[in-house]
Amino acid sequence: MASVELRGLTKRYGNTAVVDNVSLQIEHGHLVCLLGPSGCGKTTTLRLIAGFVEPSEGEIRVGDKLISSPAHTVPPERRQMSMIFQSYALWPHMTVAENIVYGLKLRKIDRATIGQKLDAILATTKLAALAERYPGELSGGQQQRVALARALIVEPETLLLDEPLSNLDANLREEMRFEVRRLHDEYRYTTVYVTHDQSEAMTTADLIAVMNLGKIEQAGSPEDIYDRPQSEFVARFIGSSNVIKGRGLDATHIDFAGVPLQCVGATIVAGANTPVSIRPHDIALSAAPPQQFENVVPATVVRQVFLGGSRDYMVEAKDGTQLRVVTAAEANIPQGSSVWLHLPSGRCRALAS
Amino acid sequence: MTVALPARAERRGLGIDVSKPVLYGFAALLCVLIVLPMSWLLIYSFSDGKGSFTLNNFVTLFSDPTFLAPLLTTFIISTSASLICCAVAAPMGWLVARTDLPFSGMIRALVTASFVTPPFLGAIAWEILAAPNSGLLNKVFRSITGAEPDVHVFNIYSLPGLIFVISCYTFPYVFVLVANSLDRTPGELEDASSILGGGRWHTARRITIPLVLPALLAGALVAFLQAMTLFGSPAILALPAGFHTMTTKIWSLFQYPPKPELAAAAALPLLVITVMLLRAEFMILGRRGYSVVGGKYGQPRLIPLHAWRWPIFLFCLLVLALPVFLPYAALLNAALSPVATTFVTFKTMTLHNFEFVLFELSATRLALKNTVILGSATATIGTLIAVIIAYVTARQAVTGWRVLGFLATAPIAIPGIVLGVGLFIAYTRPPFVLYGTLWILLIAFVTIALPAAYQQLQAAFRTIHPELEDASRILGATRLKSLWQITAPLLRTGVIATWCFIFVGVMRELSAAIILFTSETKVISVLIYDLNEGGDLGAISVIGIGMLLITFAVVIAVNRIPGFGSVRFRNS
Repeated sequence: MASVELRGLTKRYGNTAVVDNVSLQIEHGHLVCLLGPSGCGKTTTLRLIAGFVEPSEGEIRVGDKLISSPAHTVPPERRQMSMIFQSYALWPHMTVAENIVYGLKLRKIDRATIGQKLDAILATTKLAALAERYPGELSGGQQQRVALARALIVEPETLLLDEPLSNLDANLREEMRFEVRRLHDEYRYTTVYVTHDQSEAMTTADLIAVMNLGKIEQAGSPEDIYDRPQSEFVARFIGSSNVIKGRGLDATHIDFAGVPLQCVGATIVAGANTPVSIRPHDIALSAAPPQQFENVVPATVVRQVFLGGSRDYMVEAKDGTQLRVVTAAEANIPQGSSVWLHLPSGRCRALAS
Repeated sequence: MTVALPARAERRGLGIDVSKPVLYGFAALLCVLIVLPMSWLLIYSFSDGKGSFTLNNFVTLFSDPTFLAPLLTTFIISTSASLICCAVAAPMGWLVARTDLPFSGMIRALVTASFVTPPFLGAIAWEILAAPNSGLLNKVFRSITGAEPDVHVFNIYSLPGLIFVISCYTFPYVFVLVANSLDRTPGELEDASSILGGGRWHTARRITIPLVLPALLAGALVAFLQAMTLFGSPAILALPAGFHTMTTKIWSLFQYPPKPELAAAAALPLLVITVMLLRAEFMILGRRGYSVVGGKYGQPRLIPLHAWRWPIFLFCLLVLALPVFLPYAALLNAALSPVATTFVTFKTMTLHNFEFVLFELSATRLALKNTVILGSATATIGTLIAVIIAYVTARQAVTGWRVLGFLATAPIAIPGIVLGVGLFIAYTRPPFVLYGTLWILLIAFVTIALPAAYQQLQAAFRTIHPELEDASRILGATRLKSLWQITAPLLRTGVIATWCFIFVGVMRELSAAIILFTSETKVISVLIYDLNEGGDLGAISVIGIGMLLITFAVVIAVNRIPGFGSVRFRNS
């Protein structure tokens, strides 16, 4: 088995770099999510790995074999990979069973083995009753499972998934997320998963690579990405962070609405305008003046909404910055009231500006 | 476990290696098909026949009364036919698409029937119906009124008669554009007007009609073009009446002594006007994108016609009697009757005409053989070229694919008779002396068939998601194997339909064939034209009915294929 490595991978169409100097090391047996908004280059990166697209610069290695470089590209059919497409790409003129065994037949495997493997995968994906149907006669979720079965039966070294759940309805999507992860754990191939849905990435991935404008903004574990965003883009895209801006005072403090705010994360340059992210859940809000005044900012309630399990506030600091704060549902402070916000220093992350 | 990848270096992207020659090869082929005859046409139009440059051809064309008259006649015919077509087809299209007119599906089918009727066949049928003396309608008139034998109400051999017959088989172009445009215009656009207080008729006037106006305008242009480039109907109806249109004039220049230079000069304006009008149609229709924005739309609410439903329906049937019921009845009558221009009775009914055509007429066998050879060859070659070009452009497989797509559609702007003249000039000289052989007809037919075949197959490719091929490749199939196992089976119906479609198109082609045929290379459409000159209307009717049956079979089959609904034959 093998790891997948991208080194300085670049794809240009004309003068636009759709994928721009992307480097990523994917350990064998890991599940990596390429996460980003549409047009960020994640699908092109996946198609580069699959070999449908040739790189303009950089290279892709599987194990110690070079499979893509500007001079030399192994065609997709020689890469020992499987892929699940956004459209599922089930062949409408073949039955479910014919679709699934297609890859095995190409590998010249004997009939008996094919039969065994087919039965096994049909059982795993709960498709046994549908084997003789045509794709047009299946529901979205069933088609999805056929696509999974077709990709998995060839026991690929690497599995590529291109937004595989985006055509499913919400309930089914949730269910299939865990299914993808369960099958991955069962077979342990290296998986690259492309999605624009952060909760999909959170539930399935070992490693998330957040992409924007053709570049990887940040790669790390789901906890890393969520708790320790390194850029404003990642902070805003993953969960919905408040990003406040203030002038740097020293290496660990910025000036926010007249209050010196202690932060962690990137080293702050004195005098530089520095973005700082903090999650709505991490801000403590009180109607009474607090005991201590470190990292405490006075503000006014602009509006608040009762959401059942919690309460969603919009508050405004003295300098006009608006912040979202999520509190317990009981903390009912009327609109227009003065409040004090405690921004715990460990939760204020200075970002690269 | 290690990755089982081949160690030896692979040449990059197998597809690129094959596709370059494919691109250049096909671009060259298309250039020969289109550029060569058109270049010769241009050169000849500025030549005096001895190889020197001259403008005399054009001076003659625009000063000699024997050329000016056809020019004017053609303009009158095209303009009036276009106006008549719009006046008839636009209301009918609206009635069918937006009102509760009964049996609207049947009306659409009848329009399709007149759409696919070869215009020259329609013209001959109208000869049987409305020739001044022998015409069946005139006979009916005389028997009702007891008028003298030389009195007639209809004379099809006249300018109005010709305009009428041309309109009969041209109005479907306008109808289809208008009805399609209305079908695609979402009902919500009209509902939005209603909810804001617009009454039904107000909405129709302020919303619906402006939305279809571009389609109507485009339809008017297409109808004008069709009327201008038609050869069969004017040759059948105008020549006996003693006047010419541009197409018959060009044809007459090939009668002895041939004047190909003048013919080339006369063909050039037709070509230029066609290119300009198609360009205009494209611009008009291209701007209409706003009426087909995405999203899900419901069925439009139909406007109730109330008490007018059935009278209007009957009126529509009456209108459709002119291009469909009456001519078809006339052909059937002529086929079964011993004399084409008398009404058949059970007593006089005979199969003599069938016997004559099938077993006695020696020309039939040759023409039939030539047509089958040319039809199959054209269909096979044309489909093959179209499949490859459609694949290249649909998958954007090579850089420069746009050029191929453009070249494949270009012949649409070359009227059949113009192509005939160009090919005649190009292939009567060394190194390619093809005149007098079936090859020259094959080249003409392939060129004529290519645009429609290409557009059909491109539509077929568009319904096949590229990921279907990708999925096959990532599982281990090569590009060729993927094409064979995935794309080919999915494309099969489309390819077969295109093949049949081209075959039928060849059968109906007259305007290029009439310039290029010789006695040994006569085809069925030319045979019909010859038989008409000899007054053999019964034989024509038999052949014509056979032709219509084959055409209907193909059209009905093709219409069942998704995405193929909008195909149109070229009339000639």
